[in-house]
Formats: sequence, C-alpha cells, structure tokens
Amino acid sequence: MILIGELSLWVALLMAAWGTTAGFAGAYTRRAELIASARRALFAMCGFVVLASIGLWTALLTSDFSFKFVAAYTSANLPSVYKFTAFWAGQEGSLLFWALILSIYATIAVYTARKSNRELMPWVVPTLSAIALFFILVLCFGANPYARLDWIPPDGRGLNPQLQNPGMAAHPPNLYLGYIATAIPFAFAVGALITRRLDAEWLSSVRRWVLLSWFFNTVGIVLGMWWAYVELGWGGYWAWDPVENASFLPWLINTAFLHSIMVQEKRGMLRKWNVTLVVSAFLLSILGTFITRSGVISSVHAFSQSEVGYWFLGFLIIAIAVTAYLVSTRLSDLRATAELESMVSREATFLFNNLLLCGIAFSILWGTLFPILSEAVCGTKITVGPPFFNSVNIPLGLGLLALTGIGPLIAWRRASVRNLRRQFTGPVICGVLVGVALLAGGMRAYYSVMSYALGGFVLATSLQDFQKGTSARHRMYGEPYVIALFRLVARNRRRYGGYIVHIGVVVLFAAFAGLAFKKEFDVTLRAGQTFSAVDGFGDHWTFVSQGVSDYDELNRHTTAVLLEARRNGKFVGMIKSEKRQYIDSQGNPTFEPATEVGILDKPHEDVYTVLAGVIGEDTAEMRITFNPLVWWVWYGGMIMALGGLIVMWPQAERRRAQAGYVAPLAPGFVHAEAEAVS
Amino acid sequence: MPTRRQFLASLGAGIATASLARALPAQQAMRGMNTGTANVPMNENAYHKVELPSRGTGPSMTNVQRDALEHKIHCQCGCNLDIFTCRTTDFSCQVSPPMHRDVMALVAGGYSGPEIIAAFVKVYGERVLMEPEKHGFNLAGWFMPFVALGGGTALVVALLRRWRHPAAEPERVTELPVNATSDELARIDQLVRRDDA
Repeated sequence: MILIGELSLWVALLMAAWGTTAGFAGAYTRRAELIASARRALFAMCGFVVLASIGLWTALLTSDFSFKFVAAYTSANLPSVYKFTAFWAGQEGSLLFWALILSIYATIAVYTARKSNRELMPWVVPTLSAIALFFILVLCFGANPYARLDWIPPDGRGLNPQLQNPGMAAHPPNLYLGYIATAIPFAFAVGALITRRLDAEWLSSVRRWVLLSWFFNTVGIVLGMWWAYVELGWGGYWAWDPVENASFLPWLINTAFLHSIMVQEKRGMLRKWNVTLVVSAFLLSILGTFITRSGVISSVHAFSQSEVGYWFLGFLIIAIAVTAYLVSTRLSDLRATAELESMVSREATFLFNNLLLCGIAFSILWGTLFPILSEAVCGTKITVGPPFFNSVNIPLGLGLLALTGIGPLIAWRRASVRNLRRQFTGPVICGVLVGVALLAGGMRAYYSVMSYALGGFVLATSLQDFQKGTSARHRMYGEPYVIALFRLVARNRRRYGGYIVHIGVVVLFAAFAGLAFKKEFDVTLRAGQTFSAVDGFGDHWTFVSQGVSDYDELNRHTTAVLLEARRNGKFVGMIKSEKRQYIDSQGNPTFEPATEVGILDKPHEDVYTVLAGVIGEDTAEMRITFNPLVWWVWYGGMIMALGGLIVMWPQAERRRAQAGYVAPLAPGFVHAEAEAVS
Repeated sequence: MPTRRQFLASLGAGIATASLARALPAQQAMRGMNTGTANVPMNENAYHKVELPSRGTGPSMTNVQRDALEHKIHCQCGCNLDIFTCRTTDFSCQVSPPMHRDVMALVAGGYSGPEIIAAFVKVYGERVLMEPEKHGFNLAGWFMPFVALGGGTALVVALLRRWRHPAAEPERVTELPVNATSDELARIDQLVRRDDA
C-alpha cells in the first residue's frame, strides 16, 4: 500500500498537469472533448491523491522508519491516534493533507456544479487543477513525504509533546479545511472574470464555499485558542503570534464578504468589491501558508523552516499578478447596477462593517510584516507584540461590535426616523443601562465597560428580533412560543443563524473584556506552605502545596505539583500541574520538557497554575493566574459555529425565496428588481 | 495596450511583491530561533548581561510593578513571549531567568522602569521591547493602520456620496384645461386602452 501511495503521488502530478493544460486549452478553444478530459483528470487526480494519503497513513501507523517523515514525527511508543494525526504534524505530511482536501473539495465543487455555471466551469476546472498542480509539485520536488533515509533507525524521533493533545489533533484539519475552501471561490472568481460573466450566478455558487471556509476557520481558530491555553502554558489563548494572525486574516475577509454579498444580492452593488474579497481571501491563505512555512517571521508554532516557503512566495506573486490583471481589465463589467438612496441604510452600514473588518485585517497584516519592513528600511530588528495589536485593534473591534447591532436592524435603501426609533430605542436603553451599572459598580477599565455596554446593545437588538418574530408566529398561527421560535429559525436560517453568530460574537467580546481583570502571581511553595491572593472578583483564595512528585508514565517522565485550593475558606478542588519529559522506546529523552497546566475551571473564572521549576526536592516555582471568563471564549466560539451551521444548512429554494434571500440568478435581475421598487 | 489603470495595478502588485521578496533575507538571522512546535532548539546564547552601578537608594518598585515591567521586555530565546511569562512557563529556558535576575538587580539598584527599559535597549537593541517605540520609522508602524482606516473611511464616504441619488420624486401632473367634449374624451380613452392592450 505504501508503494502504491508513493507511485500515486507521481501519477497525481501527471493528472494535475494534464487537467491544467487540457483544461485551459479546452476552455480557450472551446473544445468540448478537452474540457471533459480535464474534468475527468481532476477526478482521477483526486483518487490518486487519496491513495497517496492512505499510503502515508499506512507508513505512519506501521512505524515504517525507512521514511524520513515517519522517523521525524513518530516513535514506536507513540499512541496510535497521534501516529494518525502526525500526518499533518510536519511540513511534508501537512502539504499532502492540503492537496488531499483541495482535490476532494475540487471534485465536489466540479461535480455539484456540473449542471450550472456552464460557461464558467471550463475555466474553473483548470484553475483548480493548476492550484493542485502547484501543491503536488511542491510535494514531489520540495517536500516529499515519501523521501527515504539511507539507513533505518531503530526508533523515530517522536511527536513534539505539545502536539500530543486532542486540540492539536483537531485544530489543524479544521484550519486547513477553512483555508483550502477559499480556493473554490477563487477559481469561480477567475472563471467569472475570464468569461466576464460577473452576474449574481457565480456568487450564489461561491457563497456556500465561503460559508464553509468561514465555518471551519471559526472552529479551527477556537480549537487553536483552546490548545494554546491548555497546552502552551503561557496563560492566554491568543498571543498575536504571526501564525495565529495568518489564520485570522482569511476569516476577517470571509466575514466581510458574507456581509457585502448581501448588498450585491439585494441591491446589485459592491460587485468589484466582492470579487476583490473572494480573491483576497485565497491570496491571504497562501500568504499565511508562506509565513508558516518559510520562517521569514519568527513564530512559536511555525513549521521547521525550509525552502518550501519560497515556492509559496512564487505562487503568491503569480496569483497576485494574474488576478490583478483580470480584475483591472474587467472593471467596466463590474459596475454597480443600483444606486445608494441614503447614507442611513443597511447597505451603507454594511459598507462601514466591511471597512472595519478590512481595516482590522490590514492592521494585523501590517503589524505582522512590519518587523521585516523595519529591518529592510532601517536595519533595526524590532518586535511587534501583543501591546501593539491590542492598542490598534481594540477600538476597531468595538466599532465593529457596535455595527453588529446596527446592521441587521436598519432598513435597506433608506431608514426612516420612525424605523430607527422603533428598532433601536430598547437596545440603546439596554446598552446604556449596562454601561451605567458597571460604572456605578466601580468598574474603571473603560474599554471593558464599552465592550459590555455595546454587548448589551447588540444582544438586545438580536433578542428583540427573535422576540418579535416569535410573537408574530404565535399570534398568526397559534403556535406555542418554543415551537414558534424553532420554526422562525428553521424557516429563515440565514437571518436567524446570522443573529446567533452575532450573539456568539457578543459572548466572545465579553470574554475578551474580562482579560482586563486577569491577575497573576509568581510564587514559590514548599510542601505544606500556603499562598493567599484576592482575584478580580474580590474572592479570597488560599492555595496549599501538597508537595512535588515524580513518576513515569507510558512515554514520559512526569514531575507534578498538587495544590489544594480554597475560595473564601471553602474547599473547591485540587489543581495539578506537570512538567513532562518525553522519552523514546529506548528510554532516551526526546524534546525539551513540556508543560501540562493545571486548570480549575468555573464559568466566571479559571484558576490556572503552571509549574515553572522545582528547587531541591519539594519546592515548586509556580505561576498562579486568575483568568476571568475564559469559558465564555469556548462557548462564544461554539455559539458562532452553531450559527454558521444553521446558516449553511440547506434550505428549499421556495422557502428561501419566501424569506427574501434567494440570490437572483438571471443577469440583470437585480437591476430590474431595483427599478420595480423605485 | 494596457490602460493607465491596468498599468498602475500591475505596477502596484509588482512593487509590493518585489519589496517583500527584497525584505526576506533581512529576517534570515531569525532562523533557528524558534521553540515550541517548530522542533528547532532555542537560542541559548541570546542572553547578554544588563547591569548598572547600584544607586544605593533601595528598591525602586514593588514586585507587582516589577512583574508588570517584565511584561514589556521581550525574552530573547525566540519564544515571542515577555520575560515574565517565559520564565514562569518554560523551565528549560536559559535566557529569561538571567534576564529576570538583571531586572531584579536594577530594581534593587534603585532604577526606575524607563531607566531599566533604556538599559535593556542599549544592550539588546529595540527588539527587546514587546512593542516598537514611537519614534522615527516606527511611527509608520503605529499610525499606518489608522491612516489606512482614515483613507478608507474617506473613500467610502466619497463613494457613498457619489452613489447617492435620492429616489426620484413622482412627477407632478398638472391638469390643464382640455377643450373637448365628454364624448370625445371617452373616445380617446377607449383608443388609449386599446393601444395599451
């Protein structure tokens, strides 16, 4: 099977090359047999990439250390589940994983669109084949997972302990699923630009893929935050690390697109902008991959550096040049078909929402790349860390939070004073009350106060709409409130799924605002010694060290310290934090010691302990951190993902049309609609 | 023949990518400095002693203030963390503990926060700070996001103004005196209706 896998990679390369060449030639000359051949080559490529992946998984699970990749990322005593996930732990395997997901996505996209987008598909197929060809080329010539060692070592090096965590098993696949999904909209955009069929048809195909990308990116980012929090031990979930930033950029752009596409669907506006966003999301995914793999920017969780990054730089340059040319030569075809009627309208609000999302994306990209720029211009090495990103992005984030509440309730075209009063009186009062109550309660972290006040406002706008819709159904159909609420959401998934996402955003902002009340202590405790502290909520905590212990487990030697925790004199639990020295099957240490943090988690606060070192036999050096509202990050993420799922869930066209959200399919439809209304 | 807009777009893309490519070698020195999941050993030789003669005035700040100060100083082991967080997280780090000892010595020697920061910058350069200082070219780093956002806002407002055409008010129909009999008017009405049908 391994040999079949190895050979399959080369056959997949040929298939991708043929799919690209025949596809572009067929699309250009309009020769049906070449177009069909390219499509079949893409399907075949997918099959061979699947075989290549199965081959690598077989090598990993059977510990075939003749392969460099297997020896570098696994060991004989590694649990099987981590042998499986080691597939994406290293450069070569993760690139094959990219190619695998891309080819599966491409096959699904081409197969499902076979009866629609007839003009576009001949260009979409070779574009997707070309992207796949790039990845398989890198695999074959830059980072081959099937590269063999000159000798067979008795055991492998093992998997980095920090990757031996369930979060890390799930976080990268989700991020990849999100990243790679941007390739499909990109291919459709290229097809639409080449054929100049820039009506709403291609956008309706693209929207689902952008949603899919957004969904997996959301899940992947939140899982990554969770992994960083429980595994890395520095006490937080987001460090503005370059690789984290790179994963966030496509998410921001996809979020902007999911809002601005509504303006195009409803009003026929922002056509140039939407094409630009679709293309940018893909280019930023490639840029993120370049940052992760090239080592041009120092990052805690970059892959080991190699020349592969420069392949991505070359690909990025070509992709930018091609898309810049296509967009610039099609500007006249992208002219808006409707006009703005008022600055106080939903479309204007969405435009500002896009401005802020792209502003945040720019500031993050700028901050990430600025050390390179600074060194190139001034020759000075600098660090751009969390203080920079926080000071720039907190005000922008708060502005975005405010628009999250305003956007959905303001009317399309032109909002009347009556509309504004009816929709916003309650939520504004709610937000003001929250802010005043917090200030009266003594809260002086002003960004946090603003965050909670705006959160109250946004929550009220969303709940108000749920309440109005549910009450209306209850009155009209006599449905009980719970059934009415369920059917309200089910019949208009896009709208109410969106509101659920917004509620998730509010929960996340509430969690972020809680960081202002984080407290941390650097303590040294001998067995039996006590440490007392007051947390951000004013509770008195006492920690009693139970001493330090050493013991061996499956593939590691562990040093642990146990603390008895009491809040306001009442026992609340034991907290154990560990340092683990992983060993191979010969008993030799592998990697540097890894942290296993101790967490006593409650909905309002986590007590987070890290064993920093041991002095003598029973004295532990520790950091104890009170982290408020961390649970809310995970729940906020889950609520957002749930909202995304509801939005994505297929809905019958008839119902969607009733809900007023069906994308107009015929060219010029939007224009006709606009005229009919005016 | 490309239009001016196409030419400018291509030029912009070219300059951006070329400047990125030119800047790349500048960061090569950072290679091999990663810890974490990168499987690359940390740079254990990155520590350099920072010391000043004691003023003999006693400690300049409390431990809590010192910890806050350490949050502003970047550990040089390649971890991207500040020295407080690194030394209390990674007990294998060979760099943050001596940097912490230097901070403690300077605090005990009576030096203020800004003086300690300045002493570290003198030894390590600006990279020892968790955020760039607000002077010179760094100002571009700090203000560019806001400049871009301001420019974007101005552009959006200009676009909104350009796109904004108030919905046309319905034309007023002025009734003019008609010099026709009611029979003639009825006949005209029938003709118009037949044409419409």
